[in-house]
Amino acid sequence: MTSTPVQLTVRIDPHKCVGSTMCIQYAPGVFALNADRQSSVINAAGEPAERLRAAAEQCPMEAIVLEDANTGERIFP
Amino acid sequence: MPLVLDDLMAPEAINDPHTYYHQLRELERVHWNERWGGWVLTGYDDVVAVLRDSDRFSSDRMAYLETELNAEERCLYQPIFAVLAKWLVFIDPPDHTRIRRLLNTRFTPRAVEQYRPRVRSIVNNLLTEIEPRRRMEVIHEFAYLVPLTVILELLGAPALDRDLIKQWSEQIGTFFFLRADEPRRREIACEGVTSLVNYLRPLVAQRRESPTLDLISALVACEDQQELTEAEIIATCVLLVFGGHETTMNLIANGVLALANHPEEWDRLKADPKLIESAVEELLRYDGSVKATVRWARSEAVVGGKTIKAGQKVLCALSAANRDPEHFPEPDRLDITRAPNPHVAFGQGIHICLGAPLARLEAQEAIAGLTRRLPAPRISTPTLDYHPTVVSRALRNLPIEF
Repeated sequence: MTSTPVQLTVRIDPHKCVGSTMCIQYAPGVFALNADRQSSVINAAGEPAERLRAAAEQCPMEAIVLEDANTGERIFP
Repeated sequence: MPLVLDDLMAPEAINDPHTYYHQLRELERVHWNERWGGWVLTGYDDVVAVLRDSDRFSSDRMAYLETELNAEERCLYQPIFAVLAKWLVFIDPPDHTRIRRLLNTRFTPRAVEQYRPRVRSIVNNLLTEIEPRRRMEVIHEFAYLVPLTVILELLGAPALDRDLIKQWSEQIGTFFFLRADEPRRREIACEGVTSLVNYLRPLVAQRRESPTLDLISALVACEDQQELTEAEIIATCVLLVFGGHETTMNLIANGVLALANHPEEWDRLKADPKLIESAVEELLRYDGSVKATVRWARSEAVVGGKTIKAGQKVLCALSAANRDPEHFPEPDRLDITRAPNPHVAFGQGIHICLGAPLARLEAQEAIAGLTRRLPAPRISTPTLDYHPTVVSRALRNLPIEF
């Protein structure tokens, strides 16, 4: 499958994030723990889209929401 | 302070942990329990803070157990140290990070979704047999068969041995769940561990010879990449068999009990099956299967205004956090549409239950199947009998009529 690179917006649902840190392992350029030891987005463009997608998929709570920056379409979950 | 509040094994605490923890929370949210020799946390914020702080709070139970034993005991309990010390739940980073990451891909919500049709079919087959009888013993005839069948299929282990596997798992549970009334709990756990290892070792060897698509084959492939040792594979298989059914079995049984005691909620779910997801979250909060989990302070830490010294143990009462009135309005009310419902039944932080997505799926299918096919049941025993453990909320049996 070929695809044009999609600009993603990323946010974390604070009601779902449990601080598993899986996202930080997959995309350390994007995520870091905040003072409550929940994940937060430090730089949405800090990793290639595949790593961002992998980080979102590995979240045990599906707390990471990815959307197409241009269309607003939900990419994950 | 009444002495009974220091007795985690008092019949009142075992039979009704929610009232017990309410009393303790009202007295002191971070309480030094002299009899147990550690801190007991009953407030939501404190439980969450400690569980998320894996830098300061260790899960390495075996290291702390080792310091409490003499040389002879350490030798006697060798199977516990050889196997349980490699369990994901009892290890800290960096080993935890490496093994969790390898396993996590197989247990994400997306990854486990593929098992839903099979789980649904297991549930339906069981209920087709049970329904005409108008009665069942929920634990042994239903709740244990769903998750154990699933985890054995997932691992690629033959289902015909499941009664033996259940027996060995129960033996491990005497240690894991803190059966404080059982002086032989460590010996019993060693028997269970040894039996399960002897059962699983040939399966692992066989998958090494001829890999399939099952989880054991995937673990063996990690061994080839030198990402896992053989001892870690065996230990992980034991953990998956044990963790893969005991707690889910209890979640289903506790859920049936809660809904049987609230027939209006049973009927509400029957009328609107779309509520199943939030219903299972509420059952996890209301009477989940793991009441508490323990951590050990690596360094001095202040929690809820109390100073916890390095080396001291901390009991994080998940059940208590889940009924903290500061976080859950009317915490003792069962409301299958409760939202938001940020319960901590699966823990928090890096040790958040690996199997949580699978447990959720299994409980959803089990409870959905029951409420769809059966009317609200009656509990056909005047007294409920719980296993006397600090950690596990586990009924011995649950007979119902419908």
